[in-house]
Amino acid sequence: MSQRLTRPGLILEADRNTPPTLFWNGEGFYLQRLPKGSRIIYPPEPVESLYDIEDGIDNALLNPTGDSQPLPDLLKPDMRLTIVFDDISLPLPPMRSPDIRQQIIEAVLDYAAQAGVDDVVLIAALGLHRRMTEPELRHALGNRIYDAFAPHGLLRQHDAENLDELTHIGTTESGEDVEINKRAADSDLIVYVNINLTAMDGGHKSMCTGLVSYKTMRHHHNPNTLLHSRSLMDMHSSALHSSIWRMGRLIANSGIKIFQIETTLNTDTFPEAFGFLQKREWEWSLSDRVRYITTSNILEKMPPRASRAVLHSIKSPYQVTSVQAGEVEAVHQVTLNNLHAQQLMVVEGQTDILTMGLPYIGPYNVNSTMNPILVAVMGLGYFFNLYINKPLVRQGGVVIITHPTRWEFNPLHHPSYIDFFEQVLSQTTDPVEMAAKFEESFAVDPWYIHLYRKSYAYHGVHPFYMWYWCAHALDHLGGVVVVGGDREAVRRLGFRPASSFDDGLEIASDIVGTNPSITHLHCPPLLLTEVR
Amino acid sequence: MKALLFERNIPRLAASRIGSSLFGADFLGSTQGAKVGPLRLVETEPPRLPDSVPNSPSDSLPDSDWYRIRPRLSGICGSDLAALAGKSSRWFEPLVSFPFVPGHEVVGELINPPAGKSRVVIKAVLGCATRGINPPCDSCQKGYINQCERVAFGHIKPGMMVGYCADTSGGWSEELIAHKTQLHYIKDDVTDEAAVMIEPTACALHAVESANINDGDKVLILGSGTLGLCVLASLQYLRFSGGINPEIIAVAKYPEQYQLAQELGAQYIISPSETGRVVRKRTASLMAGTHLTTGVDIVIDCVGSRDSLRNALDVVSPKGKIVLVGMPGETRIDMAPLWYKEITLQGAYTYSPTTFDTATKVVVTNHLERLVSAKYRLENFEDAIAHAAKAGQRGAIKVVFDMRKKPRNIQREQPS
Amino acid sequence: MTSHSRLKSIFQFSNLIERSLLSSRSEPVLPWRKPNWPSSLAKPTPKPTLGVYYDTSWTRTKPSRIARAALVDWLIKPLSSFVAMPTVEGLDRLGNVSTPVIFVANHSSHLDTPLLLCSLPQQFRHKTVVAAAADYFFDKRFKAAVWSFALGIIPMERTKVNRRSAALAEELLRQGWNIIIFPEGTRSPDGWAQRFKGGAAYLSLKVGIPVVPVYISGTRRILAKDSTKLHRYPTKVVFGHPIVPTTPALSSGAGNLKGKKDTEDAVHFEKRIEQEIALLADACTSNWWEALKRHKSGTTPSLGGPKTSPWRRSWELPPSSRSS
Repeated sequence: MSQRLTRPGLILEADRNTPPTLFWNGEGFYLQRLPKGSRIIYPPEPVESLYDIEDGIDNALLNPTGDSQPLPDLLKPDMRLTIVFDDISLPLPPMRSPDIRQQIIEAVLDYAAQAGVDDVVLIAALGLHRRMTEPELRHALGNRIYDAFAPHGLLRQHDAENLDELTHIGTTESGEDVEINKRAADSDLIVYVNINLTAMDGGHKSMCTGLVSYKTMRHHHNPNTLLHSRSLMDMHSSALHSSIWRMGRLIANSGIKIFQIETTLNTDTFPEAFGFLQKREWEWSLSDRVRYITTSNILEKMPPRASRAVLHSIKSPYQVTSVQAGEVEAVHQVTLNNLHAQQLMVVEGQTDILTMGLPYIGPYNVNSTMNPILVAVMGLGYFFNLYINKPLVRQGGVVIITHPTRWEFNPLHHPSYIDFFEQVLSQTTDPVEMAAKFEESFAVDPWYIHLYRKSYAYHGVHPFYMWYWCAHALDHLGGVVVVGGDREAVRRLGFRPASSFDDGLEIASDIVGTNPSITHLHCPPLLLTEVR
Repeated sequence: MKALLFERNIPRLAASRIGSSLFGADFLGSTQGAKVGPLRLVETEPPRLPDSVPNSPSDSLPDSDWYRIRPRLSGICGSDLAALAGKSSRWFEPLVSFPFVPGHEVVGELINPPAGKSRVVIKAVLGCATRGINPPCDSCQKGYINQCERVAFGHIKPGMMVGYCADTSGGWSEELIAHKTQLHYIKDDVTDEAAVMIEPTACALHAVESANINDGDKVLILGSGTLGLCVLASLQYLRFSGGINPEIIAVAKYPEQYQLAQELGAQYIISPSETGRVVRKRTASLMAGTHLTTGVDIVIDCVGSRDSLRNALDVVSPKGKIVLVGMPGETRIDMAPLWYKEITLQGAYTYSPTTFDTATKVVVTNHLERLVSAKYRLENFEDAIAHAAKAGQRGAIKVVFDMRKKPRNIQREQPS
Repeated sequence: MTSHSRLKSIFQFSNLIERSLLSSRSEPVLPWRKPNWPSSLAKPTPKPTLGVYYDTSWTRTKPSRIARAALVDWLIKPLSSFVAMPTVEGLDRLGNVSTPVIFVANHSSHLDTPLLLCSLPQQFRHKTVVAAAADYFFDKRFKAAVWSFALGIIPMERTKVNRRSAALAEELLRQGWNIIIFPEGTRSPDGWAQRFKGGAAYLSLKVGIPVVPVYISGTRRILAKDSTKLHRYPTKVVFGHPIVPTTPALSSGAGNLKGKKDTEDAVHFEKRIEQEIALLADACTSNWWEALKRHKSGTTPSLGGPKTSPWRRSWELPPSSRSS
C-alpha cells in the first residue's frame, strides 16, 4: 500500500523562480527552462490501489457489472472457453511480475478447473501487431499458465491473415464487415482480459481490433474515422469508437457471449531509481538530483542501443486500482469512471504551443526501436489526443516535440515501416492520399504477410494506421517542430527540425506569432486533460 | 597545336593506379592526381596519317575521304577517367596505340568544310571503312561497326575509336582527323552543348535498344550520371515514339541527379541503399534469407563497378536481363545467381552509325544540353579531370573541354 | 623584461583568471543546486524527521543487523564485561518462553542498556530493540543514527501518549522483534525506582505476548545519572519468570475486576510487573526463599524505597544502588 499522499494534477505557471523542467528526449532526458508564463501540466499522483488484488479479482468475477451472471455460473464442463488477453502493447512500460493478466487469468482458470471445463484456449489479441515472443508471453501470463497451455498448442496468437481461422459474423447497419477469430466466434464463452491504460482502450475496441481481420480493421482504421476522432480518448466524440461500437453490438447480437474483465492502473510508472521522472522538479531530493545527474549522463554517453537496452529493462511498479467484470458496455463505463478518477484533470483554455518530451517507449516499440513514424504517432497520435472536449493546443497552433528521431528502424519488428518511410512518406504525407495510392499494396504484400504471420513483424499496413492516427493532429495543427531530431528524418515526416528548444520556439513563432502561450505536458505518467 | 597526350609511361601509370586504389575517386578528384598521371599537355605538330593512307588530307586542300577537324567541345567520359586512373582493363591494350590523345565525345568544325556544312559530331568508332579494309569484315558488313573485327589492323594504327588511336588524334586537342564516314553533320540550331551530348546518348540509346524492353517491364537503372540520365532520356523518347511504357526505377546518389532523373521521367528515384527494398516492394517479392525471390525484368547498369554488378545480380528477376553500359573491368564476383536464375548478362558497347540520328532527336527533345555542367580550357586539364572525377559530389553531370576560339572571358562556365 | 612589464603581465594574467572564473560561475541550477520552489505554490512545512518521527527502519535491514551483531558481540560485550563484571542469573527461566517477549527492567544508568543487551541469551540478543527516549536520543540526526545503529534503539515518546511510537513498537513485536522497555521512563535520580509507566503492560496486552521482568543492580555505582566518570563495579542481571496477563477465570482476584473486560487491565498488570521486579531485587539483597515468603505475604520492600525524607531514602539505599 502506498504511503504517499495522493495529490491531484497540477498546472504550474512557470516564473523565474521555477526550476528547469524535465523533458524526455528518447533514450534520455534533460532539464529545460521554460519561458516565463508557460504552463506546465503535472499529472495526478498515484491514487490508492486495491489492498488485496486477489480479493479484488474474485470480487469482480463473482459480482459482475451489468447484465451478466457471475463467472462460475457461466462455466459448464463441456463448454468451449476462450480466454483472450491484451498483447505486448500494454501496459507501458511493462509492469513488474506478476502481471495483472496473469493474476486474472489464473483466477479465471481456477474457476474453469472447478467447473471441469476441458476445452480452454488462450489467445493473445494481437490485431495487426507483431506476435509476442516466448519471454514476453511468459512475462504477461506467468510460467504456470505458459507451461500448461503453450506446449499443447492451446496458447495461440491471433492471426488476422489466416483465412481458415476467421469467421464472417455479418455486416453492420453502416455496411462494415465484421470478421473475427473463428475459435473465439465458435466459443460458448469468451473471457477478455484488458489492461486499460488509457481511456481509448477497452470496451468493444478490445474484440474489434484485437481479434479481427484487415478487412474489418480498415472500416475503423482509416483517415476518415481518425480525422473525426476528437479525441481518441473520448469515445463519445470518436468516429473510430462509433464504428467499433456498431461492430461490438453486432457481435453481441450474433449470440457471441463475452465476459469482459477490465482493469485500471495507477500512475506509479517508474521504479524508485527513476522516481525523479515522475516527481515535480522542485520536490527533487538530493538523491533524486544525484540519480538524475548519473542516469542522464550515463544514458547520454552510452550508444543509443545500450541506453535503449537499459531503459527497456525497466519494469513499472504499476498498482491495480480497480478490476471490473461482466457485460462489455457496463464494465467499460465503470472502467472509464475509475480511469478518470486517476487520470483526468481540468485545464482551462487552449494554448498556442504545446511542448512534449517523448520517452523511449510507445505501444509499438516495446523491446524495439522508436523509429521516426512511431515518434510522430507518439506525439501526434497519443500525447496530442490526451484530451476531452477540445485539444490542448488551439487550431493552427504548434506542437514542439523533443526527441532525437534517428533514422533507424528495427527490421525484425517494423519491416514495412522502412518501406513506408522511404517510399510513401517521400511522396506524400497526406493520410487521405496515401490511403488511396499506397495502402492496398502494403496490405496485400505477401512478404509483409509472411513476416507478420511467421516472424515478429507488424502487419504491412500498420505504418499507415500510425500515420492515420496522426490525421486529426496534422489537420488541426499549424506546424510540428522536432527539437534535436535528425534533420532528414524529421523533414521526411513533414515536420521542422530545430537544433535547440529556443530555436524551436523561434520556428514556432513564425506560425503563432512572437508572444505565444506555451503549455508543457509533463508526461509520462499518463494523464487525460479536460480542456475548457 | 595544343593537345593532351596520353603516353605509355609505365611509372606514371603505376603511380596513378596505386594512387587511385589507395584513395579512390579522391585521387583524381584532387588536382594532384592528374599531374601525377600519364596525361601531359603538349605543343605539337598537327596530326598526320601514315603515308600509306590514300587520299590523306593535305595541308592545303579539302579531300573527299578524310577531313581535318577542330574540336569545339569534347567531353570527359567515365572510360577516360578509368584510363587516367590506370584502372582500364589490360584487355584493351592490343586494341589501342600509344601515345594517343583522348576524347571521343567530340563536337567540332571542319577546317576545310564542304559547302554549307561545318559543324560535326564525330562517330568515334574506327571500323573497316576508316582502315582501308575492303571487303569489310562481317560485322561491318552487317552494320555493326562497333563490333568491327579489324580494329587492330589496316593502314592506321590500332584503336577502337578516336581517342585511343595514335594516328587520328582525339577530342582533347585543337585538331583531329576523321574519315568522311565518321561525320555526323548537325544543324545550326543545335548548340555545341547539345551536340557534345549526342555521342554518349547514342551509347545509351544503343543499350536501351539492345535491352529489348517490353511494355510494362520493370526496369532498374543503376547510376544517374551522364549515362544513366541518357538512358532515362532514351527510354523517355521510346515511350513517346514507340509506345513502350516500362516502369522505371532509377538509382540516384546525389540531389542534382535525383532532380534530373525525375525530370527525365523515372517513376521511382531511390538512393543506392534503398535499392533492394524498393525492388522487393515494387515486385511484391518474398525473401529467402537476403535474396529476393523475384525482381525487376531488366537492369541497366550504368556504373560498371563490382558493387553495381552485384547489386544487379541481386535484384534482377529469374530469366531477367542485365545490360552493362558502364565500362567494367576485371572484378571478382559470385556468379551463382547468374547461373541459377538463368540471367542474361549483356554488354552494350557504343553504337552503330544509324543510332546517331535518333540520338540527336533524344538530345534535342529532352534538352540534354543541360547535362553539360562545366567547361574547361585544355590548359586547366587538372581541374577539369578533378571536377569530372568527383562530378557527383560536386553537383555536376558532364564536364567538357572547351577549345572554341574567343571563348567568353571566363574559364569555368556553369550552365545557366 | 622590465619589472614594469612583468607586473603588467601578471596583472593581465590574474585578470584573465578572474574573468574565466566569473564567466564559469553562471548561476547554478537544478540538478546541481537544490531546486527553487515555484513562487505560485505554497511551500508545505517540512515533515519532522527527528524525535519520534525518526525512521529507524534502516537499522533493521540485513546489513545493519549483521554489522550491529558484530559490534555488540565483539566490542560492546567485552567492554561491558570489563567495566560491569556482570553476574547473570535466572536465564533458566527463559528456557521455554515463546518469542517475542518484552523485557522490562529497572533503570538507573546508561549502562543498563548495553549490559542488559549483552546479557541476553543468543536467541534474543540480535533480534531485540530498545525503547529509548525520543526527546533524548533522537534529537539530533547524528546522535540518533549512532545509537539506533549501535544498540538498536527505537524512539519512544515518554512525556505524552504518542500513537506513532506505540504503533511502531507494536508493529515490531508482530514482526517478531523483542523489545527492552524501562518503564520508569528515565534513569533513577536517587537510586530508588520511580513510578512505572503502563507502556509495557499495554503492549503485552495488545499483542498478547509475555513480559520478562529483569532486575539490574550495581550499574548506578558505575555511572549514575549526572555522573561523568566510569567506575568498575560488579553488577547483577537477574531475569524473572515470564509473566502473562491473567484471564479473569484463572485469576484469584477476578471478582475485583470491574466492567466487561475479559483480561486484566494494564494498570493492574503493570503493578504485577513491578512487584515481580521488586521480588527479584529483594532476592538480590537477601535470599530467594526469604524474598519469596515476603512476596507471598505482600511485604516485599518497594522498589521505590521508603516514603521518607530524601536523606533517609539515600541512607536506606543498598550498597549496589549507591553512587560512587
